[in-house]
Amino acid sequence: MTRRRAEGAGRLTRLALLTAIALTIFMVEAQLPAAPIPGVKLGLANIVTVYAVFVLGPRDALMILCARVFLGAVFSGQMSTLWYSAAGGLLSWCVLCLLRRVLTQKQLWLSSPVAGVFHNLGQLLAAAAMLGTWAVLAYLPYLVLAGMLAGLFTGLAAQALVGRMEKLRK
Amino acid sequence: MSRNGKIVLMLLLAAAGISLAVIAMQREEIADPVARISRDGVVLKEIPLDQVGRAYSFVLEDELGSNTILVERGRIRVSQADCPDQVCVDQGWISDGTAPIVCLPHKLVIEIVGGGEAFDAAAG
Repeated sequence: MTRRRAEGAGRLTRLALLTAIALTIFMVEAQLPAAPIPGVKLGLANIVTVYAVFVLGPRDALMILCARVFLGAVFSGQMSTLWYSAAGGLLSWCVLCLLRRVLTQKQLWLSSPVAGVFHNLGQLLAAAAMLGTWAVLAYLPYLVLAGMLAGLFTGLAAQALVGRMEKLRK
Repeated sequence: MSRNGKIVLMLLLAAAGISLAVIAMQREEIADPVARISRDGVVLKEIPLDQVGRAYSFVLEDELGSNTILVERGRIRVSQADCPDQVCVDQGWISDGTAPIVCLPHKLVIEIVGGGEAFDAAAG
């Protein structure tokens, strides 16, 4: 594992760049047609989150995540979705931080499906709190499966990204 | 793969298995289905779907917006809504416990629950 700690302007630039990439992916994905089950999507922007947690560390990843979630809600014009994304994003970030301790960087792809499941769980709990009913939990099994598949996809993409970036540094 | 990786993989597979089992159970038909419509956690209406004669519709409106509900024997749907995403309209008819219709912007939930004696007692 080669990790170079960037400080000051270098770190700021890298954070800004990754936030911009995540936000762009997020906005492009928002243009795709919605899945038949409400709340289900690929969550491609999480490729950046997974990469950041494992390579840059939890703190930097959290900053990128918060900026992306907030700006994503602003740019998509749907502030009402902010709380769902925030709840899902923060819960999956917590899980990624835990998994970072037990998994190696070669197994990074495995952490993403778990994060995906918890992302959807967080969203669903936010919806349950917002609607004041547990009825929405009937969606949980669908969202667990969807989060797992979407997470597997973003995880493999993040794994490929780590591999490419290492080649780039050599 | 390391031990930790295997444990994570096993947990994932277990979660997938449980989810599939729950989905299979939800798909079972409910005897005497009752559509329970609630907003912001408060039950507005309970419609025993087996007792619906002719199809009818009604509008639910409040300061957050309006939803037009369509009821037929054994099933229910949202036919019109003034929200931007139209998730509840796109979902179409529901008739079993698979998944409730949820309108997040209007905080509206329509779920199918089992009726039968317990429901009659509560309604009576």
